[in-house]
Formats: sequence, C-alpha cells, structure tokens
Amino acid sequence: MSKKYVDEYEKAYTPRLVMEEASRCLLCLDAPCSSACPAGTDPAKFIRSLRFKNVKGAAETVRINNALGAICARVCPTERYCQAGCSRSGIDKPIDIGGIQRYITDYEDALKMDTLEVKEANGKKVAVVGSGPAGLTSAAELAKLGYKVTIYEASNKAGGYLRFGIPEYRLPTEIVEKEIDRIVRLGVDIVLNTRVGEDITMDQLRKENDAVILAIGASKGKMLPMFLNNKKAVLAVDWLKKVKSKKGNIKVKENVLVIGGGDVAMDVVTSLKLLGCPHVTDVVYEQFSEFKASKKELMGAQEQGVTIIDGYVPVAARGGQVKFKHRVINAELKIKADLVILAVGQYVDANGVDVEIDRNEVKAEGVQVANTNVFFAGDIAHGEKTVVWAVRSAKEVAYRVNKFLGGK
Amino acid sequence: MVKKDLSITFMGVKFPNPFCLSSSPVGNCYEMCAKAYREGWGGVVFKTIGPKHYVINEVSPRFDALTKESEPFIGFKNMEQIAEHPLEENLADLRRLKKEFPNNVLIASIMGSNEEDWEFLAKAVTEAGADMIELNFSCPQMTSHAMGSDVGSNPELCRKYCAAVRRSTHLPFMAKMTPNITDMCEPAIASIEGGADGISAINTIKSIINVDLDKKVGLPIVNGKSSISGYSGKAVKPVALRFIQQMRSHPKLKDAEISGIGGIETWEDAAEFILLGCKNLQVTTAIMQYGYRIVEDMKNGLEHYMEEQGVDHLEDLVGLANKNLIPAEELDRDYIVYPNINLDKCVGCGRCVISCFDGAHQAMEWDEEKRRPNCNHDKCVGCLLCGLVCPVGAISLGERVLKPTNKKPRNVNKIVLQDSMEKL
Repeated sequence: MSKKYVDEYEKAYTPRLVMEEASRCLLCLDAPCSSACPAGTDPAKFIRSLRFKNVKGAAETVRINNALGAICARVCPTERYCQAGCSRSGIDKPIDIGGIQRYITDYEDALKMDTLEVKEANGKKVAVVGSGPAGLTSAAELAKLGYKVTIYEASNKAGGYLRFGIPEYRLPTEIVEKEIDRIVRLGVDIVLNTRVGEDITMDQLRKENDAVILAIGASKGKMLPMFLNNKKAVLAVDWLKKVKSKKGNIKVKENVLVIGGGDVAMDVVTSLKLLGCPHVTDVVYEQFSEFKASKKELMGAQEQGVTIIDGYVPVAARGGQVKFKHRVINAELKIKADLVILAVGQYVDANGVDVEIDRNEVKAEGVQVANTNVFFAGDIAHGEKTVVWAVRSAKEVAYRVNKFLGGK
Repeated sequence: MVKKDLSITFMGVKFPNPFCLSSSPVGNCYEMCAKAYREGWGGVVFKTIGPKHYVINEVSPRFDALTKESEPFIGFKNMEQIAEHPLEENLADLRRLKKEFPNNVLIASIMGSNEEDWEFLAKAVTEAGADMIELNFSCPQMTSHAMGSDVGSNPELCRKYCAAVRRSTHLPFMAKMTPNITDMCEPAIASIEGGADGISAINTIKSIINVDLDKKVGLPIVNGKSSISGYSGKAVKPVALRFIQQMRSHPKLKDAEISGIGGIETWEDAAEFILLGCKNLQVTTAIMQYGYRIVEDMKNGLEHYMEEQGVDHLEDLVGLANKNLIPAEELDRDYIVYPNINLDKCVGCGRCVISCFDGAHQAMEWDEEKRRPNCNHDKCVGCLLCGLVCPVGAISLGERVLKPTNKKPRNVNKIVLQDSMEKL
C-alpha cells in the first residue's frame, strides 16, 4: 500500500497556525468571500467566529450552510470562488479558506458535534436518485425540513464520485463516510444496489413519492473512438475508482500516458506519482493559458514531477503507442507507454430515468421537468460541474421541491 | 445547534443577555444604539449625558493604538469626553430607543459637576424612560476637575452624588469606578452607602501610549501637544479583573452587583468577568475595532460554554472563580512542577534555553549538535517560563515533586494544575 496515496496531501492546521491564518483575515464589510461561495457556506462568518475563539460556532455556521462542509473544505477549487474575491490579496495572498474550513470541520468531528436538526415530520416523501454530492445535499436539506427522504443508489456504496472518483490523498473515504453518516442520522434512508430503470421504475418512484429528484451525475467516462478495443487504454473514472476502492493497493506500470487536462486528469497523474509510477506523461488538448484544471491541482501534479505537454491532440493509437499533433503549430509527438489513461470528459447516462439530456444537461427550464413531480440537481442541472456547485444546485432544488409541495 | 437562555437579572432588571455597549463613542446616538440592539446586544449604556452648562469641544484626532508585532490593537487611547449632542436631543433619543426596543435594556449614563446637576440629570433621564442609570465618576479626560475621575477617586464626593441621585429617581443605578486609584473598594463602598444599587468597573486608565520621536510629543498630536488620557482594550483586562476580584472579596461589597468592563472581545473574556462575579458586561474598544457584530460570537460562544458546563442559567456561573483567588501567603508552596518537553513537537529554536538562562534559573541545557533542549532538574525551580515562550506548545506541565522542606507526606497527584502552558 502506498502511504503517500492514502495520507492527506495537504497538512492540517494546528490550533496555533489556524489562528495565525484567521488573524490575516481583514474581517471585511460585505465580505467578498461569502458572496463568492456558490454553496453559501459563509466563510466570512466562520472565520470571524474562529478569530473570536468561537470554534464551535464556526462549526455550526459551516454545517448549517453546507451539509458537505468537511468535503468541500478539501476538494473545493477555492481559488476560483471565495479566495478569488479575498481583499487580503490586495496586501499579499488570499486567506486559505479551505484549510480553515477543514480545521473547523475536523474540530466538529473530534467533538462529535451534532449541529443539524430535523423539523417535525410533515408526512411527505421524496425520492432522490443518486448519492453523489447533489443527491446527498438535497436529501439533507429536505430531511431538515421534515420530509421522509429515500436515496436510491445503483452502486453497492453511497457517495458517488466523492467515494469513487476523488483520490484518497485529497478526500479520504473516512471523511465521505462521516458526512454520509451525518445525513443518515437526519433520517435519510439510502437504498443501495438499486438502479432506477432496472430494479425500480421511474413511474413507481413518481407514484410512491411526492417528488423525485434526479441527481445522477456525469459518471461515465468518455471514450475516444481510436482507443476502442485497445487493451492498453482505460478510462480515468474507472481507473480512479479501482485505485480508491483498493486504497491504493495496486501495482502501477513504469510508464503511463494520460490524455486530458481537467481536474480528473490531474487526479490521475498525481495519484500515479504518489503510487510510485516513475514516468507519468500528461498530454493536454488545451494550452497552458486556457487550462481547465484548478491551479492548485495543476501545481500539485507539477510538484510531483509529472511531465505535462500542452496543446496536442491524439490522432492515432495502436496499443500503447499514441501519435499526437499540435493544434496550432506544425508539430508531431509520438509516445509509447505501458498504459494509456483517458481523462477526456464524462457523460450522463440517463437510461431509465425518462428525461431528455442535451449536452449532458436535462433539457428543461429551471430545475423541474415541466408538468411532473420530477426535479434535477447537480451535474445534470445547468451550472459548473464542481462539488460546490452540486451543493448549490441541491440547495436550490430542495427549496423548489419544498415550495412545490406547499412548504414554507 | 446550541440554544441556551442568556438572560440575566442585574440590579432588578432582566436583560435578554448580559452584553451591553458601554458609555462611549459606540453609543452616541439613536442610530448607533438601534443598530446595536438589532445585532443582538442585550442593553446599551447611552453615551454619558452632562449638564447643559458643560460645553463639549473635542480635539482632532483623538485616538491612538498600542501595537505589538502584528497585533493592530493591544491597547487603545481615547481623548473623547462625554456626549456632544444637546441634552434635549439625547433625551429624545432615549425616549425613541425605549419605545422601539422595549425588550432591550436602556441605561442612561450621566455626569454632573455638583449636586444640582446630578439631581437634574437623574430626573431627566428617568422621565425619558431609561431602565437604569450609570453615574460616570470616572472619565479620565474631562476638561473640568469637578467631573470625571477626579470625582471617582474621592469617596466622599461619590457618596454625596449617589445620595443626590437616590433622592431624584426610583430607578436602580450603578456607580462607574475609575481604576486610577489604589483601592477601588473605598469609592465603591461610599457609593453603595450613598444609595447606589451596583458598581461598574473599570473605566479607562490614565495613559501615554506612544511618543512621536521626531516631534517629541505623545500621540495623538493635537497641534504639537498631547495629554494624558484613558487607555482601554485587551491590555486592560487584567487590571479590570483584579479590581473586580478585590471588590468581590471585600466583606462590605461581596454581594454588590457588578457590571464588568475592560478589554472584553470574546466569549472567553466575557466568561472570565462572569466567573469573577459580574452579572453584566460592557464593551467599547472591541466594537470600535470590529463593530457591533462581535456580539454574535460572544453570545453563541457563551451558550456553548454553558452547554459544556451543564448550566441552564447564566446566573449559576456568576462568581464561581472568586473563592479560588486567595492571598499569596495562603498558596500551596510545597511542590515543584518540572517542564515536560515533547521532543517530537520541538523545532529546535532554543527560545526556552534563552529565556531560562536570561530570565529564570539556567536550568535548560542545549544540545548544540541536535539543537534540542534538556531540563536539568537540579537547577529547575518549576517556574515554567519555558512553556510560555515555546512557539510550538512543546512544553507542558510534567513531573510533580514535593520540595525537600516539605515534612508531611502528600499525594502529588491530587495537586490541581492548569491544563497547559500554551497560549493560543
């Protein structure tokens, strides 16, 4: 087993250091960090609570606003959201909001705080399809309001991409399980090994529940036609799932080629390095100036010594040998690897859930399928495809479902 | 989500929570006090109202701050006096506040220069609808020596003016004490004897906090000169707590109701004042620096503390620490606690060695090769200065031993120690 892969890559703050970091916060008027958080986690308020020695109050703020607070603390690309607006950048560099949030949620966990409360049962039932970030959050939000929520999950374990996609060094399975446990304690039932459309029909869900929320996510990896039936090529999502399920207990090849430049690709290349792969080459369609991956993940990969080549498109493949051409200049590249991992995007598999999908999003206005009791959240809703946006989308959908069912 | 009742009765008046603005720039008009109430303060002490004949004319600038390393405000100096608005306007503000916020407590602070002034002002604020009154015997920057801290350091004047106010109002009132005195108990007792229902302490400490080295004048500079004036903020908390403890342990004052003031910024500060016997708390400097919003974490943090302590009424925490502060001659001097150095935490800076040699008893030895300290018990007196200076909290309270002079056998494990030397 690789200790590097299973240990959290980012070091946790000690009480002294988190206070030093919180002391850098300027405690702004109308704080830009809080306005910029898609999930409404309110960093300005929880940092101020910490600063004034009220760590428990800080934990309450995080948890009340974000049922996946401990997860977001670790995986959110904060440089694009809360930290982008941080006024401290006018002096030196933004406050490490993710790190502070992690300290606060670790504290919450250490003290076994149970912040969330459930209102009296209102007798109404909601089914949620999918147990990724959007499914979990919408379930938590509605359970808090008194709904009886049941999540249907096709896999044998809950958590979706949180459990099977994001590598252990960035998001330990233990953290995901604790967040799920918190939501289960609100009275949410999770039914595993149940694929909607096969084990239970949409019609049945719609009839047996007052509302149904689809939170199925874009869970399938895209295949490039030139790699079809290529035994040396695997899809990134499948590879990440295998590695995480085995806690990094796999044998990696000597020389691995990764194709793709998003956060998933960065997760793959960094995992490979942490697992001891000596030669990791990442070839990316985008040029550095237009890179999709978060800067933090890109820097993490570079720190690990991954070779990153930007601006090339694969044009032909035979076994582990792949030929690329530069998108702009006249240049060619040939790489022969023991394994090729494709991280070129994901798509939504909407089989069995009876909704029309167009470019990976449900074809509908707003968050509800017209004239039905079906709502949708997360990847398949309009918006960015990050965990924090899934939380935002789920909070919005929970609000809409509650209104639809006559709640206040 | 924690939910505890923070209400507490002080001088016969029920406060929704013990947190009040103190009489100062932070409660200078209707708009300020209304915003403070809305943000969660239990009460306000409206900025001190003076007699009509006393004309306020302030200097500019009028504040300065004492800093240390990266801390912006350790202490704060203020030269502002009492309310500058006309008496009628202040009374109109009091009336409007009481009408619009009937469930919050409104305290009028007043200051006169003779008995007639005190009588007149006490009647005026009573008629305006205040719930209680605070007599400002303690502002150290008044331009009249018949007012402010010159009164508070004279017990006979305190007694006389309290009696004048007692004759003029049915409301409960407290006398606000100056720390610019050796023994606060004397004016406090005189005030209670004169008719006061309680004491508030402390007002600001007379100070000069910085001197401009080029112009050779204290700060803030007012056309090339400066004056001694009141010092407040976190730095004065220890002084405030000491005076409060002394009053609480005086037989004539042990049951006096006290409103605590001096450097309160966090719920922890608040809890300290409560444990030392305060049923009410007043804040200014932290509000000037951070705004009224700080009350959110003071309230929520205090609720969590009540939860941890298993207490449902704030009242149950009042004064719990008073009995544990005893005269120095009564302390247990039979044992030594040696430092326990956690070498896994140690980063090898050697600060403990420097402080032990230069400021203590030369007991901390230094391994130059490994850059690690070692405590020599033959020299160590157990002062634990090392634990206070350690930047990583690697030094804790370790082995306890009885001094050889100790005759009776004792169980050292029953000695009650603090949990840690680390300051966070």
